[in-house]
Amino acid sequence: MKKTTLYLFMTMALILIAGFFMLNGSETKTSNVDSTIQKGEFQKVVIGLKNYNYYPNTITVQSGKPVRIYLDSSVVGCLRSFTIRDFGVAKYLKTPNDYVEFTPNKKGSFRFACSMGMGTGTLVVE
Amino acid sequence: MSFSHFIKSMGNGEVESELPKTILVSLLSSFGILIILYFISLKNITDFIPKYGFFLFFSILTYAFILPSVRHVRAYKEFQCMSGMMIGMTIGMISGFLPGFFIGGTNGMFVGSLFGMSLGILFGIWNGKCCGIMGTLEGIMAGFMGGLMGAMTSLMMFNDNLKFAGIVVFVVSSAILLGLNYMIYTETRGGERKHKDDEFFVIFWSVLLTIITILVMVFGPRSALFQ
Repeated sequence: MKKTTLYLFMTMALILIAGFFMLNGSETKTSNVDSTIQKGEFQKVVIGLKNYNYYPNTITVQSGKPVRIYLDSSVVGCLRSFTIRDFGVAKYLKTPNDYVEFTPNKKGSFRFACSMGMGTGTLVVE
Repeated sequence: MSFSHFIKSMGNGEVESELPKTILVSLLSSFGILIILYFISLKNITDFIPKYGFFLFFSILTYAFILPSVRHVRAYKEFQCMSGMMIGMTIGMISGFLPGFFIGGTNGMFVGSLFGMSLGILFGIWNGKCCGIMGTLEGIMAGFMGGLMGAMTSLMMFNDNLKFAGIVVFVVSSAILLGLNYMIYTETRGGERKHKDDEFFVIFWSVLLTIITILVMVFGPRSALFQ
C-alpha cells in the first residue's frame, strides 16, 4: 500500500506541476485604440443569409468606433444567435430590429459565428 | 468484493496494484516527450501554451487514465460476453469521446471527429475482442459514436464555457473508467492472470498518442471557425 500511495502522490504532484505550466497564460493580441469618437455615432452593418451562411461574411469596420450589427429577416434558426468571441459579443437577435453593439478596440481579423459555429465570417477591424 | 476491497487490492501486489503505477508512468512519458518536443521545436510556435496547453494537458491525462484500463483488460484476456461488451463499449466510447472533444476544441468538428473515431474504434476493437465478435462490434460502434459526439459537443460549446465543460467531461469519464476497473476486478476474482505487460507497453502508447495528438492539434487541418 505504501508504494501505491507513493505512486498516487507522485501522480498528483506531476499533474499539478504540469497543470501550472500548461493552463497558465493567455493569447497575445495586438491592441491599437485610435481616435476619439463623437457621441451617438456608430457604424451600421446588416448581415443576411446566402448558401446557409452569413452574407456578406467579411465585414470591414473602423477601430475605436461603435459598431451595430443587425441580422435581416433572411437569417433564420441558430444563425440568429450571433457571437464574436474576441469582443465578448453573444446575443440572440430575435427580430431584424434587434442588434448587437460593441466597440472594436483592437485591430486585426476576428471570427464571428453563430453560437454553434455553423455560420461563420470574418470581422476586419482597420 | 466491495469497492474498499478493490482499493485495498491496489496495494497488495495483485494485477490491480499496477493501475496507479501505470497512470504515473504514462504521465511521466507523455510530459517527458512534450518537454523534449517543446524545447526542440514547439517553443517557436506563437502562443503554443495559451492556445493548445489546456487541450493538450487534458489529452495527456486522458491517455494516462485509459491505458491502465487497457492494461487491466489485457491481463485477464478473456471475459464473458456481458462483461466484454461493457469493456468494449466503455473504452471505445471514452477513448473516442475525450480525444474527439479536445481535438475538436482546437481544430474543429471534422478533424476532431476523424481523430476521435479512429482512436475510439481502435481501442474499442482492441479491448472489446476479449469476448469475441460481440465485444468487438460494441467497441466499433462506441468508438464511432464517441468520436463524433466528442467533437460535436466541443464545437457546440465553443462559444459557451468550452474549457469548463472539458473539465467536467474529463472528471465524469475518469469516474466511469474507475468503475470499469472495479467491474473487471469483481468479474475476475478466482481467475488467473493470463498476460503481463511491462512498463514499455505504457511508455510506447503514451509517447505515440501524445506525439500524434500534438501533430494533429498543431499542424493538422482546421475548420474555418478555428483559423
